[in-house]
Amino acid sequence: MTEYAKPIKRRKIKGDAAWGYAFVAVAVLVFAMFTAYPVVSALIISFQEYKPLGSTFIGLENYTETFKDSLFWKAVVNTIIYTLLTVPVSLFLSFAVSILILPLKKKLQTTFKAVYYLPAVASGVALSVVWLWIFDPMPVGIFNKVTSFFGLGTHNWLGSSAYAMFSLVLMAWLSSHGTSIIIYLAALLGIDGSYYEAAELDGANFFQKLWYIVVPCLKPTTLFLLVTGIIGSFQVFQNAYLMTGGGPDNATTMVGLLIFNNAFKYFEFGKAAAQSLVLAAIIAGISLVQFKFLGKDVEY
Amino acid sequence: MKKKMRVLATVFALSMALTTLSACGSKDDAKSNADDPNAKDTITALLPPVSANFQSNFDQMTKDFNAKYPNLTLKIEPASWEDMTSKLDTQVNAGSPPDIAFMGSDGISKYVQQGMLMDISDTATEEMIKDYDAAPLEYMKNGKGLYGFPAYMEAHAIGGNKEFMEKAGIDYKKVQKEGWTFDEFREAIKKGVVSEGGKTSRYGFVFATAGVTSKDYLGILVKSAGMPAAFDKDLKYAYTSKNFLEVLKDIRVMIDDGSMPKELSSIDAGKRWNMFLTGQTMITGKGLAGFERSAKLNNEKLQNKDASAVKGSIPVDYVVLPVPSFAGAQAQASVAVDGYVTFRGTKEPTAAHKANVVKAANFLSSGANAATTNNELFVAQITESSRKAAESMTVERDADNKAAVEAMLKTAVPARPDIPTDLGAKAIKLEDEVIVPKLQALIAGEITPEKMYDAVKSAAVSAFGEDGVVKD
Repeated sequence: MTEYAKPIKRRKIKGDAAWGYAFVAVAVLVFAMFTAYPVVSALIISFQEYKPLGSTFIGLENYTETFKDSLFWKAVVNTIIYTLLTVPVSLFLSFAVSILILPLKKKLQTTFKAVYYLPAVASGVALSVVWLWIFDPMPVGIFNKVTSFFGLGTHNWLGSSAYAMFSLVLMAWLSSHGTSIIIYLAALLGIDGSYYEAAELDGANFFQKLWYIVVPCLKPTTLFLLVTGIIGSFQVFQNAYLMTGGGPDNATTMVGLLIFNNAFKYFEFGKAAAQSLVLAAIIAGISLVQFKFLGKDVEY
Repeated sequence: MKKKMRVLATVFALSMALTTLSACGSKDDAKSNADDPNAKDTITALLPPVSANFQSNFDQMTKDFNAKYPNLTLKIEPASWEDMTSKLDTQVNAGSPPDIAFMGSDGISKYVQQGMLMDISDTATEEMIKDYDAAPLEYMKNGKGLYGFPAYMEAHAIGGNKEFMEKAGIDYKKVQKEGWTFDEFREAIKKGVVSEGGKTSRYGFVFATAGVTSKDYLGILVKSAGMPAAFDKDLKYAYTSKNFLEVLKDIRVMIDDGSMPKELSSIDAGKRWNMFLTGQTMITGKGLAGFERSAKLNNEKLQNKDASAVKGSIPVDYVVLPVPSFAGAQAQASVAVDGYVTFRGTKEPTAAHKANVVKAANFLSSGANAATTNNELFVAQITESSRKAAESMTVERDADNKAAVEAMLKTAVPARPDIPTDLGAKAIKLEDEVIVPKLQALIAGEITPEKMYDAVKSAAVSAFGEDGVVKD
């Protein structure tokens, strides 16, 4: 049988496909300009001594300086401590609040969601001013009044190494749960009611239902919030910048703040770019580990 | 209908993207005129609220400038003090800074290192240069280059509550004239403390030291301890001197005496001014000349029972006091020289544009403009033309305070344009990464003065080498 070569078909983009490409092109263009291009630029700048009038290539110097810099490693350790103290507690609090809100009527549920989400829409600077007032080191400060009432004396919350990190952690514990609560609530509402009915027929109590139904069903959500929470926590900048400036004695200097200082205080953009890429690598590594060990039986 | 909607959606999406991208475009090329000195030109200036009415005078300033130079337009971009640095840095790093920006002369070396400042030493006329006092003009230099004109030179002092000092038996008028040593100062602030039942209701001395303000605190004190700059005349790093350790010990001892609050490391500029106006402290720092005006304004509000007076405040007569001298050294006043700094973009400016920028910087920093602003700030005039313009203006200022500031300006720390930018940058980084964090720990009582001194010495040796630091 003779086989004839099939004529090559020229794909014509028309109709719905053309419109699809047109819509996607806008998103791709914006992504390329504002995400891909800055990342590639940062990579190039990390090998340069950056100057607006002409940068010079200096190879791996910015990276070697970063790895030799004791302050960078101190900032990494501070960031890890901050992450370990804030992310798990924040997840637990969000989960607990979501469970408490779930049985409420829809209107009341919406009110609570709005209240918990409010700090997310408020300006970080405005919130910091309130927190600075709460952490006033003098005896008239709100926290100092509370600790004095319980006989614990007054403390220099943001001005001493012993309390500064704890103060920032406390800020994270008592705010910014809105997004996690909304996501957890959505996931809780997605759990099929038949599971609870079956458990009730078997005589399961509240905690058994929580442990055997809710926790496993929410595992994908928890993994998502854990990964994004750790990524966000590693990039933390605002609280340290506004509340302590990284002090005292660099006790609250986080990697994000260090990168900001190198870039915008000392104009060492090359070093800042190198540090930001090292930070990105650390975050990517941690995320991979999380997916490997926690995401085995998670399906999306 | 479906097709129309698609077209409409695409147009909207593309216009959104193009609008965003257009923000990345270059600014107009109005300044790229040829070398014709009479050609039309626009000079841009980024200016913060230097004084209370400064920004409301912008329209008049641009009109007056245009009347003086009809071919030139002065385009002023206002900025808040909070935004000033970030706005300027963003523009500098994008390669398109304003022609003129108002900033502290201590920031000049940073931008010189970037190559983004415009040296006007070959363009400023002899007549212009002669108008300025020599000392503040030197602060606008780096190496041999002149990078703008100074607006004012302000002494960093401390300020006292007249009534409290009189009650404590402090002869403040003598101090204003003759100065004081640290031991005399220490005794004086001890007398200012009021305590009852172990609780202090008034401290002798409160200086803002939270965050970066601690840099000011140490910077002002070390200048009166024989270290007027971070480098000595031989360009050796000075803060390894034993006098530096003495200052650190004195900083700690004032807290240990109870004359300063133990929470000092968290007290920012706003808090310590509030403490001063509410009678919680006898002497405050740092003290700027304008504080006399602020105190007077609050006194008037209290008298008129105006609700906007500081809550819990009392009437205060503000007294300007010099910083004490340390370790037997001569007191030298730390000064802040702010001015109109001249920038360049990525393109080489034409000679004509450069001359026009110089005209604008000179216009802003001298004559009636400078006279009005400096009078509002209660600072001394530093140009002949502004002194002349100020003759017809009245300033309600305490004569003793005025004389005290003038006496301090006579001992003002001279500028150091000889310090190379790379050395200066290293010193700034050492200050930010070692001195300030350690000072915060020292003030919080977490480390000893000796430990801080050793940390600074060790960092200085690794930054400048064994031979690059002072050994005494």
